[in-house]
Amino acid sequence: MADLVKITVDGKEIEVEAGTPVIDAAIDNGTYIPHFCHHSRLEPVGLCRMCLVELETPRGMVLTPSCTLPASEGQVIHTKTPVVDKAQEGVLEFLLINHPLDCPVCDKGGECPLQDQTLGYGPGESRFVEEKRHFEKPVPVSDLVLLDRERCILCSRCVRFAEEVAGDPLIEITARGNQAHIETFPDEPFSSYFSGNTVQICPVGALTATAYRFRARPWDLRKVESTCPHCTAGEAIEIDASQNQVLRFNGIDADATNQGWLSDKCRFGFEFIGSAERLTVPLVRDGDGFRESTWAEALDLVAERLGAVIESRGGEAVAGFGGARGTNEDAYAFSKFMRAVVGSNHIDARMDDAPAAELLAAVQPRATIGDLDTASTILLWGPDLKEEAGTLYLRVRQAVQKRGAKLVVVHPRRTGLDDRATWKFTYRPGTGFGTLEAFASGAGDFAEARKALDEGPVVAVVGLTGMTEDPTLATAVAAFAAGLPDAKILPVARRSNTFGALDMGCAPGLLPGRVSFGDADAVAAFEAAFGAVPDHAGLDTSGMLEGLANGDLAAAVLVGADPVRDVPDGALARRALEAADFVVALDLFLTDSSSLADVVLPAEGFAEKEGTFTNLEGRVSKVNRIVAGPGQTQPDWSILEEIARRMGRPMGFDSAETVAEEIATVAPAYADLRWRDVERKKPEGVLLDGGWYTPKAPAGPDVDADMVLHLARTLYDDGVAMRQSLSLHHLAPGGVAYLHPGDAERLGVTEGDQVVVVGSAGEATLPVRFDPSLPAGVVYVPFNQAGVPSLGAGAAVEVRSA
Amino acid sequence: MSWSPETVARAERIMQRYPERRSAVMPLLYLSMLEDGYLTDDGMREVAEWTGLTPVQVKSVASFYGMFKLRYTGKYLVSVCTSISCMLRGADDVMAAVEDEAGVPHGETDDDGVIAVEHVECIGACGGAPAVQVNYELIEGITPEQARDLVRWLREEQPDKIVADDLQERFGGTRSFDWAIRETEGAVGPFPAFGPYGTVAEEDRS
Ligand code: SF4
Ligand code: FES
Ligand code: FES
Repeated sequence: MADLVKITVDGKEIEVEAGTPVIDAAIDNGTYIPHFCHHSRLEPVGLCRMCLVELETPRGMVLTPSCTLPASEGQVIHTKTPVVDKAQEGVLEFLLINHPLDCPVCDKGGECPLQDQTLGYGPGESRFVEEKRHFEKPVPVSDLVLLDRERCILCSRCVRFAEEVAGDPLIEITARGNQAHIETFPDEPFSSYFSGNTVQICPVGALTATAYRFRARPWDLRKVESTCPHCTAGEAIEIDASQNQVLRFNGIDADATNQGWLSDKCRFGFEFIGSAERLTVPLVRDGDGFRESTWAEALDLVAERLGAVIESRGGEAVAGFGGARGTNEDAYAFSKFMRAVVGSNHIDARMDDAPAAELLAAVQPRATIGDLDTASTILLWGPDLKEEAGTLYLRVRQAVQKRGAKLVVVHPRRTGLDDRATWKFTYRPGTGFGTLEAFASGAGDFAEARKALDEGPVVAVVGLTGMTEDPTLATAVAAFAAGLPDAKILPVARRSNTFGALDMGCAPGLLPGRVSFGDADAVAAFEAAFGAVPDHAGLDTSGMLEGLANGDLAAAVLVGADPVRDVPDGALARRALEAADFVVALDLFLTDSSSLADVVLPAEGFAEKEGTFTNLEGRVSKVNRIVAGPGQTQPDWSILEEIARRMGRPMGFDSAETVAEEIATVAPAYADLRWRDVERKKPEGVLLDGGWYTPKAPAGPDVDADMVLHLARTLYDDGVAMRQSLSLHHLAPGGVAYLHPGDAERLGVTEGDQVVVVGSAGEATLPVRFDPSLPAGVVYVPFNQAGVPSLGAGAAVEVRSA
Repeated sequence: MSWSPETVARAERIMQRYPERRSAVMPLLYLSMLEDGYLTDDGMREVAEWTGLTPVQVKSVASFYGMFKLRYTGKYLVSVCTSISCMLRGADDVMAAVEDEAGVPHGETDDDGVIAVEHVECIGACGGAPAVQVNYELIEGITPEQARDLVRWLREEQPDKIVADDLQERFGGTRSFDWAIRETEGAVGPFPAFGPYGTVAEEDRS
């Protein structure tokens, strides 16, 4: 940490870290200095001159911008002198010369720094009588962001964000002087996954979001702080709603997690909440279709049918899928429902798309996101973070770009971080174990990177690189990292509250509070709390699907789970649900899976219920309600409680908070953690500690085949939340087979030709695109795209010209 | 890659001088102008490839400087200095004469694509004000009438080579005492007439 220095601001002495921009020092200590271009998460540029202050120097007072002035010992600053006042008035008069003052029709009007500072510090009148400049408006700078150039005050926040933070320098100030304006290159839009952040930080209404433009006036919005429901980083967000409609998400600057930023999927992926296709009444199977029913009828039916299965085949004939798309409280209720009410350990929230549950929930030593800021080397052997955990991607990028941390990326193809990687290693899916062995021994090309890992602190970001990879490879990588002298592990998985669900025991080998079935005392405590805990071995997602398909299992409970879309072998999931005697689904939509159910119960979704969320570092934050769920929707915990009561084994919940109370009482890692404690620590939340799992290296076989499949997720896909968010849905890449040009030549195909990819569980005909970053003999297919049949998780595939 | 092999070879030599790739952006922009006559979108894309910048970053640089032309600027670019010394010596009348004779205002090119007109800031010829350049070749002490003759002559003769000494003789007036241009080669259009300083021109000579 840098030295502390004393500076005096308006007669008040304050102590700050040396080098802090004086503007931040003053604002943090209660003296506001107006500004436009300055943003505490961006490099200072001193462009707008709004932050001028007077600084005492041996030659008298000088007027200087406080954003480019680093704090140093003994500085004396005055922010409210007649000279400063005059300077501020002058700056504002200049800025308004070209500004159209179209505030009544501007999205920003009412929450606009230019408007507010004109009121607070402006001259009150203008001497400018000439004609203002005009531009064509609005022009799209990306699919999601529009630009009204005449409103722009050329602060370059958007430009600096794009370059410094997002790493997509596709938006720039061009020309000079009076002609200067913001622009993107022809045919090269600002198609960054993070473009929406510029809308939030633009200090005027020059950049607006298509999803929000003209939808509301800021003073009509109700606001609540919450946690982003899309990825596992647990970004702090503000939800804005009006007239019972969610209209906008904005990022909140939580230092520990997102530092104010959101990916566009997180920012604009709220539209599904208000979708007209939301389920609003219970549905009961009627021949090939459904009929609407009352809650009483539907719940009775579920209790009766589930009861009958349990009666005849025992609780272990029931499979539970899901839990990751809701709150911790919902997941806890589901976990307890399966264990205590149904009597089954077959429960999994990972949906075949995550490494081992113990690794995710309880690995030690576990890194925090903040550890990336001090790591000397970062090892990334997992998903392409740009596609699967946007704000984590930004954090790694920043560690390398701003601080010079070394970055080692190991992945089957190019990733978003390759341009910043110190070392990048590419390998064929299926050869991960061999690659790890070579890497660990520091053989050949790996030597330097391997050596860098011996010097700490190291953060190893570990997860699945793709869905055809053996999930135990992540464990092996974590085991390797755990063996390094000074390394911590940050496990990643993709789906929203996966970590919360696992912490609540939505995994075959875990009980709530990160309790392993191997821990006899803790299991005994649950037996007391739950009445009973089944002792049979639980199945994971693919085990349950196979069990249902072959008749070993008889019924399924889906809680916000869409196995047909979520798992790599969608055909198996379909067979499983069709074969089951009884399926009940708690869902927001009639999905490919819930439409195969016997009873579909309409659930409340995000922003409609209260609870908590646990992110990938084990940080618990609050999820809050701002709108009412449509129609007769109910929260998951309440639906499960109602079924439990009808089955004669009530769980004892009558509000989400009573579920939270029980978690605080029985779940060890969450002991005594109550909502008010979490609220008090907002926006960061409470970081839990409760790791006990030291990964051990399992030896896995490598796959040897002519062609192997890399099946991985993209930020935008055809998942139900995306499909129902109309601003985003068209951004999914769609069905494509990426081939190395050499392989394409061998197959006699070129870009745009169709190939048939025959996977382990299905085949698809897809157009070819070249990707020279792939190793030879690998075909990359983005997972879960509209109209693409599922291929299965097997690495070996066959590819032929169609 | 759309550049000619010669241009590519020149670009390669330029790149060697810059340990930081992006620093080569300005000389490469000159090259791109030499190649196409002005900076086309494709030309800027090409420069972006070479320098590792994005095209819009290249455009941001290119559009900042007046002498990087983002539009076609005629076979002959007539630049009239309107800064203070020239202005005091009648540059406004020279400018008006040039615009009138060429039939296009500042910043435009005539319909035939032969003559473009612009007014520029001080071109370092204050001693011989008012000054005009054709394809960056200088004429000093020019009168409005001579400026008209100049435009007419350019349009009718369309000379292949523009040489300052020659222009000065035909259309110039009083020269500044330190007139030092002794170029016999002169401009070899299209723009710019010169290679990047200390890079292309020099090396091409060797
Ligand atoms: S568009 Fe907004 S953020 Fe970008 S330079 Fe203009 S005022 Fe600043
Ligand atoms: S905030 Fe300091 S110059 Fe803009
Ligand atoms: S003012 Fe015209 S050359 Fe200097």
